[in-house]
Parts: sequence; C-alpha cells; structure tokens
Amino acid sequence: MLVLEGVNKTFGNTHAVQDVNLSIEPGQFIGVIGRSGAGKSTLLRMLNRLGEPTSGRITWNDTDVTALKGRDLRDWRRRCAMIFQHFNLVPRLDVLNNVLLGRVAYTPFWRAALKAWTRDDRAMAMAALDQLDMSGIAAQRADHLSGGQQQRVAICRALMQEPEVILADEPVASLDPRNSRIVMDALQRINRHFGLTVLCNLHSLDLARTYCDRLIGMAAGRVVFDDVPAALTDDAVRELYGMEANEVIGAADTAPQTGAMPVPMPA
Amino acid sequence: MSGMRTAFMDRAAALPAPPPTFSRAAVVIGLGILITYLIGLGVLGVTPWAIFERLPRLFSIVLTMFPPTPGSEAHFWTYLEALGETLAIAFVGTTVASIFAFPLGFLAARNVIANRILHFMSRRVLDCVRSVDTLIWALIWINVVGLGPFAGALAIASTDFAALAKLMSEAIETADQGPVEGIVAAGGNRFHVIRFGLLPQVLPIFASQALYYFESNTRSATIIGIVGAGGIGLYLSEMIRVLEWQEAAFLILMVLATVAAIDVVSRQLRAAIIGAPRG
Repeated sequence: MLVLEGVNKTFGNTHAVQDVNLSIEPGQFIGVIGRSGAGKSTLLRMLNRLGEPTSGRITWNDTDVTALKGRDLRDWRRRCAMIFQHFNLVPRLDVLNNVLLGRVAYTPFWRAALKAWTRDDRAMAMAALDQLDMSGIAAQRADHLSGGQQQRVAICRALMQEPEVILADEPVASLDPRNSRIVMDALQRINRHFGLTVLCNLHSLDLARTYCDRLIGMAAGRVVFDDVPAALTDDAVRELYGMEANEVIGAADTAPQTGAMPVPMPA
Repeated sequence: MSGMRTAFMDRAAALPAPPPTFSRAAVVIGLGILITYLIGLGVLGVTPWAIFERLPRLFSIVLTMFPPTPGSEAHFWTYLEALGETLAIAFVGTTVASIFAFPLGFLAARNVIANRILHFMSRRVLDCVRSVDTLIWALIWINVVGLGPFAGALAIASTDFAALAKLMSEAIETADQGPVEGIVAAGGNRFHVIRFGLLPQVLPIFASQALYYFESNTRSATIIGIVGAGGIGLYLSEMIRVLEWQEAAFLILMVLATVAAIDVVSRQLRAAIIGAPRG
C-alpha cells in the first residue's frame, strides 16, 4: 500500500502541492485529475523522488520512500516505473535497446554500457514488445517512430523493470485520440493482467471516467476530490476546474471522441 | 488618395506618434562605435586613406606572384611532403585534443559534477588555457621539445582540448533532460545516465566539432609552421622572406586547395553524423 502523509512541495513562494494525505491500495487504477498547474505532475514525481517533497512522508508497505538513498532509492525507482508525457526514450537508440534500458537496475554497468544484455533479457524485451504489437519494429530507431509507438516502447521499458507501481505522467497528452486509446488500453491491460497499481495523471475527464477505478482531483495543490468516477458530479467538476468547468463538462457530454484532446482554454 | 488611406490617416491623427525608427539606445551605441573607431585610428597613427596610397605596392606584389610555380620538381615534392606534415600536425593535434577534451567536458558540466567549486575551477582552468593562442603555445612548446612538427601538434592540442572541452560541457548542459529522466526513473545510476541519457546526445555534436576543429587546424598548422613548428608554413615564411613571390603563391594555393578539400569532406561527414532525420 502506498501512503502519503502531509506531503507538501513548495517552489519559492508557490505551494505546488499542499498537505496531501492519501492511501492507495495495490492493484487500483487511479486517475489524478485537475487543470494544468494543479500539482498533479509534482505529486507524481515525488512518488519516485524525481522531485523531493518539502515536507511530509511517503511510504510503500513499510518502506519510508522519502528517506531512501543511493542503491535503495534506485531500487525503489525500479519498482515504481514512470511513463512520461514526452516518452523520454533515448532518441538515437533502437527500440529493443530502449526497452532493455528498463533492466539497468538488474544489470552490471559494464553489460549495460556495452549493450551486452543477457539472452533472457533480450527475449523478455521482445515478448514485452510483442504484447503491445511492437515486435516488428524492434530494430528501428526510437526517433523514427510516431508518438503513439514511442509511448508504447516506453511502456515496454517500464514493464522490463518488473515494477509494482506504474506512474504515468500525462501519458496521452501528446497523442491523438486514437493513440490515446491504444496507450490507455495498454495501461489498463497491465493493471488487470499483472495487478500493478497504476497512478495516471490525466487532463481529460472523459478518459479518466472510462479507465479509472478511483479519481483524485487536485486544485491549487490540494486534493479536493477523492472517490469513484460515478461520484464526480458537475458541481465537483466545477470546483476542480473553475472557469474551465463548462468546457470540460461540455466536451465530455457532447464529443466523447475528443476526450483525449487537451481541455480547451476559455477564450 | 484611396478611401482606405484616408480612413487610416484620420484614425492615426487621434493616436500617439509611432515609435521612432532608431531608438535612443541605437543612436548612442552607433555614436559610441564611431568615436571608438576614430580614437583607435589616432592611437595607431593611421589615416583611412593611407592604405590607398600603398595599394599600388600590393598590386605589384600580386603581379609578381604570377604565374605561381614550385620552382623545380624537387621543390614540389618537398612542399608536398611539408603539406603532409602540416596535415599530420593538424590531425594528431586535434585527435589528442579530443581525447583529453572528452572526459574533461563531463567534469566541467554542471549537470554531471554537482560540486560548484570543482565545476568553477575546471571552467576557469579551461578558460585560461583556451585564451592563450595556438601561436603562443607553439612558441612555448618549441622551447620545451625543440623546433619541429611535434611542437606544432602539441600547440594545437593545448589550445583545442580546452576549447573542445568547453563546447562539450555546454553541449552536455543543454542536452535534453528527457532521456536523462527516463534512465533515472528506471533505476539507473549516475553512470547509466551519462552512458544513455547524455552520451548519445552529445557524441554526434562532439564528433562534428572535432571535425570542424581539424578543418580549421589545417590553417592554424600552416601559421605555426612560420614560427618553426614544422610543416608547410616554414617554407611559406621562407619564400616570403626571400621575396620568391611565385613560389609563395604556389604554397598558398596548395594550402587553399587542401583546406577546400577537407572542408567539403568534413561538411559531408558532419552532416552524416548530425543528420538524424525524424519522421
């Protein structure tokens, strides 16, 4: 179980995340929603310590994540894989090796450095790619792929870490609606099939309602909603999105196929 | 006057005047440059038209250069060998510089070495070494290892390792942090981050810079030959000193042709290295 107690993060005078208390059961698919700047990314990045909390405590089972250092911290990062909005692959490296980079924490440095991965790791990487219908492009360079393909490669890399948690930071915000579905479906399969906990930042309410078991709504750094998607009423959406609320509600009601598009800004 | 013009002119009458074409700052800077230039002329004791009085002398030198000739076949082969030596100086110098610059670039990069003092020190040392011109390094090395191409190669290596290391460290600092975060988030350590997050990004830039330096060092190697660091420059200065303008012109043309050839080849190589077609 992942537990956050009184987690705060400030940048100068800005309170990016304020007094967040949450507990997350294993195997849940959780959507973190809210307008941009609400603190969703900052929150997620503190979970794998890409960002340091200013105060508060994060624990995983009995491990104090906020106190981890060196090898232990790297091992924790291995156990909670992250998927990024901009994929964060190594552009000049081929797909297979990008996927195999998910094994860095298991592999001696010299082997990784020479890309001398073990036969088993290479086979596993092909299988991971195959699961996302990507085994045919294993030899292609990552920067030659479309955004949707790159995100699927990034998911394969995450799977290679054999993680217990997946943190997805706006995984579909750079993708078109069709690819958004493909990527979200893949995350859902991983969640159901392997029982991994998935925490996913989403801008789109429509996607959040479709895929998540539980929604955590953030506004101005605070958690203002925490319930099943069915409980997310128009009033709750208004509190979450403020001025943008009508557009979000409208977009979700009238044009579900545009759900993956960023919420339009008021003119 | 068209209706549109009239309408706009009427509207403009009610508006504040448009901003001036030349801002006050631009006028001040322009005047500053002009005054500094005039003071400079005064300090050097030259008048802009002095050059015009001397132009006929330049023309007569250019005329005596024709036709450029190596003098004799024996000279030609000597010059060709010296040209080869100049190329070797440039190549060895640039290679040694690259070998030293590569690790140093990482040391001088803020996002690799977090220690501020170490970072500051390595930066300042590189700046000092870099600010000493190749020609001065050549004179220093000639006194250490004696006249000849070895001193030339050392001179080029000395200046350029610092210059390349600085470029390298800047390439590392401005590298895209995406792949770096990707590796960190997968549980990679500092070395994994350098190997996969940074190296693939900076290696092509570095290789392309090294090639460019080789190209420009072919010119530098000619110049340092003049002070006795080997190569074709030695013959060139000799021919100018004894006023053998035809042979000097031939040597200049040899260097020109070589630099042009290297320029073409290295431009294609650099394009091939950098060129990462996206799509």
